[in-house]
Amino acid sequence: MIKNFFKVAFRNLLRNKGFSFINISGLAIGMASAVLIMLWIQNETSYDQFHEKKDRIYEAWNKAEFSGKLQCWNTTPKILARSMEKDIPEIERSVRVNWPSNFLFSIGDKRLTVKGNIVDTGFLQMFSFPLVKGDPKTALNDGSSIVLTQTLAKKIFGEEDAMGKIIKIDNKDNFTVTGIAKDLPNNTRFNFEYLIPWNYLVRTGGDDSSWGNNSTRTYALLKPGVSIDAANGKLKSIKYQYTKDNDDKKWEMFLYPASRWRLYSNFTNGKEDGGLIDFVKLFAVIALFILLIACINFMNLSTARSEKRAKEVGIRKVVGAQKQSLVSQFIGESVFLAFIAGIFAIIIVQLALPAFGELTDKKLFVDYTDYKFWIYAIGFVFFTGIMAGSYPAFFLSSFNPSKVLKGTFKSANALITPRKLLVVLQFTFAIILIICTTIVKQQIDHARDRESGYAKDNLVYHYLTGDLEKNYELVKDELLSSGIAKSVTKTSAPLTQGWSDSWGFNWEGKPADDKTDFDRYVADENLGATAGLTFIKGRDFDLKKFPTDSSAMIINESAAKVMNFKDPIGQIVKDDDRPYHIVGLIKDFILQSPYYPTKPMIIEGAKNGWFSVMHIKLNGANNTADNLKRMEVIFKKYNTEYPFDCKFVDLEYAAKFKTEERTGTLAAIFAALTIFISCLGLFGLATYMAENRIKEIGVRKVLGASVTGITTLLSKDFLKLVMISFVIASPVAWWMMHQWLQDYPYRVAIQWQVFAFAGLLTFFISLLTVSYQSIKAAIANPVKSLRTE
Amino acid sequence: MIKITDLEKYYRTEEVETIALNKLSIEVKEGEFVAVMGPSGCGKSTLLNILGLLDDPDGGSFVFNGIEVAGFNERKRADLRKKNIGFVFQSFNLIDELTVFENVELPLIYNNVKAADRKKRVEEVLDNLKIMHRRNHYPQQLSGGQQQRVAVARAVVNNPKLILADEPTGNLDSSNGNEVMQLLTELNEKGTTIVMVTHSEHDARYSHRIIRMLDGHSVTENILI
Repeated sequence: MIKNFFKVAFRNLLRNKGFSFINISGLAIGMASAVLIMLWIQNETSYDQFHEKKDRIYEAWNKAEFSGKLQCWNTTPKILARSMEKDIPEIERSVRVNWPSNFLFSIGDKRLTVKGNIVDTGFLQMFSFPLVKGDPKTALNDGSSIVLTQTLAKKIFGEEDAMGKIIKIDNKDNFTVTGIAKDLPNNTRFNFEYLIPWNYLVRTGGDDSSWGNNSTRTYALLKPGVSIDAANGKLKSIKYQYTKDNDDKKWEMFLYPASRWRLYSNFTNGKEDGGLIDFVKLFAVIALFILLIACINFMNLSTARSEKRAKEVGIRKVVGAQKQSLVSQFIGESVFLAFIAGIFAIIIVQLALPAFGELTDKKLFVDYTDYKFWIYAIGFVFFTGIMAGSYPAFFLSSFNPSKVLKGTFKSANALITPRKLLVVLQFTFAIILIICTTIVKQQIDHARDRESGYAKDNLVYHYLTGDLEKNYELVKDELLSSGIAKSVTKTSAPLTQGWSDSWGFNWEGKPADDKTDFDRYVADENLGATAGLTFIKGRDFDLKKFPTDSSAMIINESAAKVMNFKDPIGQIVKDDDRPYHIVGLIKDFILQSPYYPTKPMIIEGAKNGWFSVMHIKLNGANNTADNLKRMEVIFKKYNTEYPFDCKFVDLEYAAKFKTEERTGTLAAIFAALTIFISCLGLFGLATYMAENRIKEIGVRKVLGASVTGITTLLSKDFLKLVMISFVIASPVAWWMMHQWLQDYPYRVAIQWQVFAFAGLLTFFISLLTVSYQSIKAAIANPVKSLRTE
Repeated sequence: MIKITDLEKYYRTEEVETIALNKLSIEVKEGEFVAVMGPSGCGKSTLLNILGLLDDPDGGSFVFNGIEVAGFNERKRADLRKKNIGFVFQSFNLIDELTVFENVELPLIYNNVKAADRKKRVEEVLDNLKIMHRRNHYPQQLSGGQQQRVAVARAVVNNPKLILADEPTGNLDSSNGNEVMQLLTELNEKGTTIVMVTHSEHDARYSHRIIRMLDGHSVTENILI
């Protein structure tokens, strides 16, 4: 019997090529999108869940009040780890992980900059990053040991055994390779190519025991079976216990479990408040909807052409088929179709993975060797097949054979209600996505068009690596004298990034309770000229003319407002106890997020001494590539050991829009897919509708109906549905986008034109889809259609 | 074999109730060949549907092979039908996606006959009806007469006790029509009971007895043999 079903299914498939194409391509695209999204979700939800001890691993967080709001963050004092181990018996071990640092590795003549972490020795025992060579218990015990990943080891030493080899770091210290770690999986928060022990930081003066310097991440491993609440109870006031500073009385610390790091760690006023999990949920819904839309096509087309299948149902019933056997036959058919679509879906997924990976900034892949994948795949095919096939199966198998075989059966030639509902559902979803795509795009453009406050063109920066800081004046002179640069300045951070902020400033008339947070920046001289800042009052730093400018300060308008100066020039502002005199007032410029209001900002003179970056305004009269080539020569001359790595400020600035652009692109892709699949279905429906009404059209034409009249008649029903969808979609989309925009203090207003655009676009696309069939039916010769039968 | 007494069937729409069968009583003995005639709308087809267990009567009694079947549910009706009754329709009603062989095989599949037996029996029937050479063709590749032969083959392949024929020659020319009537007669001679609805006096004359219907009940019976 199954063979017989299979035969009918297969021959049906071949006979109705159009129908099969619409169904299979729709389902394949739907399934492929769902699979891609599921891969992403699977990746996101499995972050750092592979550690054997994951249920006992926690990260230490701070909770403290600023300007009336509870803030939570996860950078902690370096002293915390050891204090925690000592004071809290529930903690088995605590491990610090310093910010990823780029080090220059020298091996013989080879030079490369590598990113990795400085960690406490217990790191490899707490986290499951297995070593292919070396012992995780001892690999980091020695102060000059280093663990490399397999890829890095291969990059440096090729096929040679890396164990025991010597690597020179930052031209100073020699490290011996004591372990080779497996490459990191794509679902971990860690991102290192090497690990070196904390001891290195101690030796180089990077360690400190201040409770006020929140600068490292601290992890804790609880003992098996102990209560996290007990541990947290003891940790809560640890800072105050050590500092006895009244300011720290309310300062809390807590341990945050590994299972929540990735998806839930968005805190508002001291409480978890969503995070990535919101995206995971949103995308799960989108995946389900795209699949549903493809399934709806199947349902609609299957029921629309029921007249065709009705005869077969009748005959099968006459010769003895039970209803239930017919239901399983039809569901079997849709599962079969889903299976074929599934094969195409795998091909699509495989082709789309690289692009999708780029879009999501992840290395995603399907592990075809994993039996679990195939179990899920088969389960997915059955799920899709049953979801698509059950409604048509029950619909078709309920036909009364005595009616269909006598030819009195006519499936309603109008759109019957459930089918209407399904079309409305499809287009509602499509219109929502179009509206969202448009508004996301507008928001990005809105922020991009915002005045940044400085001139980004021909502006580049270079980190003060190796000898650059020592040779800075020489490099600068040569850049200027050779005509490569127009202006050069040394700063504490790139102009596109805020590295430092503080509320520890004092000025005359500062209210006692003021805790306003300022962006803090440092420059030697010519910052205004190099970056093209706009001065409202006063002047740029100029150490040649005014040697005292090393203790000068430039503030922005927002800062002047906070400090409430009538004339800021000449005023003294103290950073802790170091006094600076204000020489310039500039217009605000965007240091960090283009979506947020600019913060009050102070720029301190060279006395501060925190220099990490040099900014160079290139001479626009020369060719940029030429400028760079000549620059490289100069940099190589004064900084022989380190690679030349110059960054363009305008590119870095553009990167600020990446997250939103990604959201926009994804929304656009899903919108396009939804529209495409929905229109495929609409096209199919229109085809069958035109076929069913061919006689009616013939009669109407004989009676004098015009082609336009008939086209309108046939298209009207469908377009009505699109309009209903629009009415439902608009408020939903408005609400969704309103919510989304709340995250951006600097945002666009939602305009009615967007809705009109989405509505009209959908209307025209569906009109185009339907009218092809309508016009074809309308211009057909009525003699032909009336002669049949 | 068939005994119906005071059989009633109504069709209701929102506004109108139509009486299709009005206290109809008929008996058909095993081995008989009965023709049912009457004008359009007199209830012939309704009768045939009820006899074929495709439809349930609204009142009265229907005894099939000694069992009262009025009020049987769909499952029980389907079960009885597939074992005992074969159908031949005016419009052949072959499944377009199946070949001649597969169409004829279908009732055997639903009766859970083993594949080897199925092959034997289908071939036997196709051979008897002289359409063996068409076994791998699809219905649309056959002439009307050939299609009806296939339909007859499908009706008899399961050796049913009763064949119900609904205007079996309605879509055929006279020579093809005669051939089909000849086939039915031969089947009847081998012992199969046949009830045939027809408009054609010519076809009716092949039967033993003609039941004439009007407005849902039988008016006269002509016994031909």
